Amino acid sequence: MIFVHLFWEFFKIGMFSFGGGYATIPFLYHISQVYNWYSLEELTQMVAVASITPGPVGINVATYAGLKSAGIPGSALATVAEMIPSLFLVIIVSKLLRKFSDNFYVRSLIDTLKPISCGLLTAVAIGLLKAEINDIKAMILLAFLLLISWKSKKDPLFYILIAAIVGIFCKFL
Amino acid sequence: MSLLKLFLIFCKIGAILLGGGYVILPIMTSEFVDKRNLVSHDDIIDYFALAQSLPGIIAANMSMFIGYKLRGKWGAIIAMLGVTFVPFWCIVLLASVISTLINNPYIQGALWGVGVSVIALILLTVREMWQKSKKEMFFYTIFIMTLLTLLILKLSPIQTILLYTLIGVGYKKLREGKA
Repeated sequence: MIFVHLFWEFFKIGMFSFGGGYATIPFLYHISQVYNWYSLEELTQMVAVASITPGPVGINVATYAGLKSAGIPGSALATVAEMIPSLFLVIIVSKLLRKFSDNFYVRSLIDTLKPISCGLLTAVAIGLLKAEINDIKAMILLAFLLLISWKSKKDPLFYILIAAIVGIFCKFL
Repeated sequence: MSLLKLFLIFCKIGAILLGGGYVILPIMTSEFVDKRNLVSHDDIIDYFALAQSLPGIIAANMSMFIGYKLRGKWGAIIAMLGVTFVPFWCIVLLASVISTLINNPYIQGALWGVGVSVIALILLTVREMWQKSKKEMFFYTIFIMTLLTLLILKLSPIQTILLYTLIGVGYKKLREGKA
């Protein structure tokens, strides 16, 4: 029975959460109160772990919550359940795109979504700059990373690794 | 492109996807446009815009769009499974040792650096979106209004998307009527 509930709860999250991984947290809070799968304290730890491990945060939290609820099978079920609504929507939208890419509404929708998503991303960047770049060390590292990327674009992994090494090195200073 | 190859590429993408889904755009551009030239840059930007306006997790949506584009339905399913494969096992392993790891100063240092690099990647993405956009009033107006709405009115992303989609498409419809 727990697997049915688990599937349904995470299916709902996949269906109704908009706007990135942290948008799933209110749903997980609700789950912690309705079922006895994990406590609120465990929820904050789950979000922390989900943020530092690779992969989309929203999916990672589902994996972790599933793990807490019903072990590795629960973990796999929650992860997949959360992505199933998107899977269907993506397939439908892709088909429509192919058929209707010359359609007036589809074209203007995409033309409108571009500046909107650019705005959303800029707002995230501003929020993160305010929250995270608050000392001279962080400013120098950020400026350095932007500087080396300005002329030639490299694999994102390259910047992540350099920054991690700099971060470890800073601990020796 | 075989499904196995597609799975492996998405495994790599899942493994280097740090700091939330927002670095998905530079990673996807690097893997599918710059390195392999399988998807056009315009398509990637379209998918990113669509992935954000659908419910669910942006990075997963984006992976499924590209999977579908390359290999149809099975491509979408393989992309979904691939992008979560490495993170899944990381979570399962880390859950057992988490309390000891988080207190290690070097781990904390590395995480701090990764956090800064994520911001740099987001800024680079914004810059790239600007460079590739059509330089016209419509783009600038919607962009500025979206940004102000989020920062000042503090509407949620979904409210903002709905509001400006209506305004933008409505405006285009009016313009079309006149032309």
